[in-house]
Amino acid sequence: MTEADKRVNLDQLDHDSCRSWDYSQDFCVTCGICSSMCPVSGIDDFDPRKLVRMISLGMENEAVDSRWPWICTMCGKCEASCPMEIKISSIVRKIRSLRERDEVPGILHKGLETALKTGNNLGLPKEDFEFILEDVAEEIAEEPSFENFTVEIDKKGANILTTIHNKLVNTHTDDLKHWWKIFHAAGEDWTVPSENWEGTNWGLFTGDDEAMKKMSGRIVDHMKNLGAKNLLWPE
Amino acid sequence: MKYIKEERIKIDKSKITKLAAYHDPCNYGRKAQMLFGHGYFQEPRWIMDQCAEEWVDLYPMEMNQTCCGGGGGTLTTGNDEERVYYGRKKIDQIKASGAEMIVVPCHSCHGQLNNIKKEHGFEELEVKYLWEIVADALILK
Repeated sequence: MTEADKRVNLDQLDHDSCRSWDYSQDFCVTCGICSSMCPVSGIDDFDPRKLVRMISLGMENEAVDSRWPWICTMCGKCEASCPMEIKISSIVRKIRSLRERDEVPGILHKGLETALKTGNNLGLPKEDFEFILEDVAEEIAEEPSFENFTVEIDKKGANILTTIHNKLVNTHTDDLKHWWKIFHAAGEDWTVPSENWEGTNWGLFTGDDEAMKKMSGRIVDHMKNLGAKNLLWPE
Repeated sequence: MKYIKEERIKIDKSKITKLAAYHDPCNYGRKAQMLFGHGYFQEPRWIMDQCAEEWVDLYPMEMNQTCCGGGGGTLTTGNDEERVYYGRKKIDQIKASGAEMIVVPCHSCHGQLNNIKKEHGFEELEVKYLWEIVADALILK
């Protein structure tokens, strides 16, 4: 593609194409405060003001095809500083949602797909998950003051049910121990579900509301089925 | 917080010996404030007060806190060069505070800071979860 081909024909812009987006994008006064606040400004020529203007001008396809929404960290500094209260983070997420699912970069959609299918981003089988938890619990029980420590999986009626971040049963198992030790010291009555324990919800990042609902719904189901009173969801 | 207030757990502040700083994750702070009308700024700071004799805030903080660069799924999109690059501001901010330990309550911030600290010349920086310093400072029976 030559530089000339990449140019946008301003006469053919469809200003109405994003009219239904209610993020106040048309209120942009192009002040540039968002761009000054953004940690990613300047990378790959990105800055949030450009993206807001693209949506206001109806350049939906260009925005969806662009890398920009994916290098944004969705930190929200742009939005917090915008004098016109434009929902810039929501614009980014909406653009992400319009990307073909198999074109979502990296492992974001693949991990989510695995989670929807298997209950966790890793596709870790129930037996392996339980083995890892019990192994870590045994390690804790070897430490002084934790002699009687155990992890009770799928316990009914516990005061706290906790979800698990997939990295804690993958490469960072030692980081399971902090909360567990606090529970032990506080004499807490707690449990972990054996299935659908995934605490991350990558639909937040890929703009997939349906997937988010499904992942959250599973946790609601646990609370009901196991009769847990409180939820600890640190992800 | 409840455990500490009700004295169900007891904390020994002297166990945290390094100077710690607290980082507000975007989702717990700024974005929670914008979306739900309550950003969790004071609660973690109260826990920091219970766990350490002395700790520092970064500048800027709370609503203006600098992003770690690892949010929005950027740890998993494969755009690693960009991610590491824009984490430099966070590391500069921590260096400027004089802290040797950074405390975060977010898995993404935790992963990002550990991942980039070497690249930006701060390999000795200790990255801790908020609940990890509580566990570290527990007085055990």
